[in-house]
Amino acid sequence: MMAAVFATLLLAFVLDLAGLSRLAVSCLLVSLALCAGLFLWEVYSPDYGFRMPWLQL
Amino acid sequence: MLLAMLAVLAAILTAAMAMQYVLGEIPCPLCLLQRAAMFGCCFGLIQELRLRESERGTGLALIFALLLLVISVRQTLLDIYPRPGHDYIGSAVLGLHLPVWSVIIAMALLLGLGVRLALFGGGRTTKTGEEALPRALVQPLAIYVVVICAINFLSVLAQCGLDQCHTFGYRLFQ
Repeated sequence: MMAAVFATLLLAFVLDLAGLSRLAVSCLLVSLALCAGLFLWEVYSPDYGFRMPWLQL
Repeated sequence: MLLAMLAVLAAILTAAMAMQYVLGEIPCPLCLLQRAAMFGCCFGLIQELRLRESERGTGLALIFALLLLVISVRQTLLDIYPRPGHDYIGSAVLGLHLPVWSVIIAMALLLGLGVRLALFGGGRTTKTGEEALPRALVQPLAIYVVVICAINFLSVLAQCGLDQCHTFGYRLFQ
C-alpha cells in the first residue's frame, strides 16, 4: 500500500506536468486518502487501539 | 515566498534521501508517510506558483501540512516514550530526531501559508511579486521535485515491494 501512495503521488505530479490539472488533483486526493488510511492502519494496535497507554502524564 | 518554501522542502527531501542512501538509515513506514505528506505540500506549492487566479494550491498545501503534523506528532510521542521493545532507531540532526524536525517543518509550513494568506490573500489583483516569477525559475524546481518523487517511489518498491514497509533493508535485493 505504501507503493500505491507513492505511485498515485508520482502520477499526480506527472499529470500536472502534462497540463491535466484536474486529473492531477484527483490523483493527489486519492494519494491523500491512501496516506491517511495507511497511517491509521500503521498506528492501530489490537491490544491498545489507537491509544498509547504507556504514555502517562 | 512560495518559491523559497518549495526550494526548502525540496532540500529537506533531498537531505532525507541522502541520509537513507549515504548513511544507510532505512525509513520506517511513518517516515515514508511524512515524506509523502511533504511531496503533497510541494504539489500544492507548485500549483500555487502556476495558477494565477486561484488559491487551490495553498489549500492543498495546507491539507498536506496538517497531515504531516499529525503523523510527525504521533511519531514524536512514540519516540519520547517508546512502547517497550520499540525504541526509536535513527540519528539526530542538531540534537533533534527527524520526527521532531518534521513537527517543526509542518508548523513552519502552516505558519508560512497562513501568513501569506493573511498578507496577500485578498483579490488576486494584489501583487505579491510571485506573479512576475518567470516560468524558467519555477519549472526546473518543479521537475526536480518530480524526479525525487520518482526516486522515492522506486526506493519504496525496492524496500517494501507491494507489502508492508517494516523492513531493515531492501526486500528486492535480499
